[in-house]
Amino acid sequence: MRGFVQTYGTALAGLAVFLFFVVFAPNFANPINLLNILKQISFLAILGIGFTFALTTGELDLSFANLASLAAVATGGLIHTGYPIPVAILAGLAIGTAGGALNGLLVTRVKVPSLIATLAIASIANGFAFFLTAGVAFVGRWDPGFVALGRAHVAGVPVLVLWMAGTALVALFVLKNTRLGIHMVCTGEAEESARLAGISVRLMKGLGLTLSGALAGVTAVLLTANLSSAAPTMAGDYLLTAIAAVLLGMTMFEPGRPNVLGTLVGGVVIGVLSNGLILMGADYYVQDIVLGLIIIGSVALSASTLKKAAFGV
Amino acid sequence: MLSVRGLAKRYGAVQALAGVDLDVRPGEVLAICGDNGAGKSTLIKIVSGAETASDGEMRLRGEAVRFASPHDALRRGLATIYQDLALAPRLAIYQNVFMGAELTRGVGPLRVLDKPAMIEQARGYLAQLGSSVTDTTRAVATLSGGQRQSVAIARALRWNADIVVMDEPTAALGVKETAQVLDLIRALNAAGKTVVLISHNMADVVAVAHRVAILKQGRKVIDRPVAGLDADTLSHMVMAGREVA
Repeated sequence: MRGFVQTYGTALAGLAVFLFFVVFAPNFANPINLLNILKQISFLAILGIGFTFALTTGELDLSFANLASLAAVATGGLIHTGYPIPVAILAGLAIGTAGGALNGLLVTRVKVPSLIATLAIASIANGFAFFLTAGVAFVGRWDPGFVALGRAHVAGVPVLVLWMAGTALVALFVLKNTRLGIHMVCTGEAEESARLAGISVRLMKGLGLTLSGALAGVTAVLLTANLSSAAPTMAGDYLLTAIAAVLLGMTMFEPGRPNVLGTLVGGVVIGVLSNGLILMGADYYVQDIVLGLIIIGSVALSASTLKKAAFGV
Repeated sequence: MLSVRGLAKRYGAVQALAGVDLDVRPGEVLAICGDNGAGKSTLIKIVSGAETASDGEMRLRGEAVRFASPHDALRRGLATIYQDLALAPRLAIYQNVFMGAELTRGVGPLRVLDKPAMIEQARGYLAQLGSSVTDTTRAVATLSGGQRQSVAIARALRWNADIVVMDEPTAALGVKETAQVLDLIRALNAAGKTVVLISHNMADVVAVAHRVAILKQGRKVIDRPVAGLDADTLSHMVMAGREVA
């Protein structure tokens, strides 16, 4: 019984919140609204899955949101100035991945703790994003094919939801069914034991941070396509929501451990909360307060993994 | 099996190991004893590949070796079981047994983890060691100290190591679990493995070892069969650093 509460407690609490809004929030249960929630959380969920990879190897990534913004203005800027779409997309993906790889090198080679290294990279990414745009946003009537990446519907389902589901499935497969995945898990769970067993701990940590950056690149492309614009702070708000989704996810399914399914459900809970609160007429700032409470509550429930990642103890 | 000649290790001004000769014979349980600072840990760190010697040579099955890392030693059939067991407590037993050497199935580079095979084989290793644990999908954190030791030893079996070095395996255990670990050592030995046991506990040594080597101040002072010795006499020898009648 205790194990059940530990494993599914927060998921059930999320379900209770969901049912509460079904009853009390006007129009909440409308299928269009529900799909809209999934669409809204897709960006934070993809970024959250990236953060899940990094945290799985025992490292934090505080740079993914700013890396996503930088990658977005690079993609948007290239499209805006007439470069071919594939080039623009590749540039966005490459910038995210390179930023993540740089985080990895700083952490595993230069030995800068990830908390600090990724914070510094976040600042640098932010600076470059403003440099590229000169502070304004790229807005335009862009190629419909490109815009469709973020706005199309497939069989009535927003394509963003499919991107999110696809990312989650691939991440789940890698972490659960491949040697690479289990080596990343071992690295985060017991670094010294993993090293003694011949696992390249440095490579795994570098990979975790690189994947986080790569998914920031993916998010950047989708975000740019969805909004048909690119601004230097466009992904900034996702930093806290994505981290909150991961932390909330760590309280369920595999308690204490970052896990993809938990991240997804955590994202859904956050999406449901902010949507339901708005429908019930709450002011926007209430969401921020709730988000903060979620972060504190989740970490209180699964503190040890976070402390290890942040401070190495 | 394993022989070292003139093994020496210096840490700055400290001579931790001052030229030790030691032969580990196939199929035996060799105990290495000595007071704190006698050089046991240093000797074991070098033998297991965690550190390199300042001087001297090491031969494994007649071949000169120099291990680059504990993993290198493991690959050549020498497994070391550390005091903290080097396990990941929150992962399943089978994941610990196969850590770093997972079984996969598939074609070419397209391979996925073969979990059923790992779960089953891990169970087989534990059964071979006489362990009562049958569900290898349980987290190691749910196991007792003695059972954890069996998981660590099962990993040595997985690597097919023929020499298993155990560093103070009973140091943190109660009476009942100590007995379990001694049984594990006997089972391991019965399975044809050579065991090197580092221990402070003379009762353990008398119970399972065939031969004992005693170190003092970085030198080997005694190397003799255990037969006919009792724990008290052995303790005297460790303290005195010489044979005691």
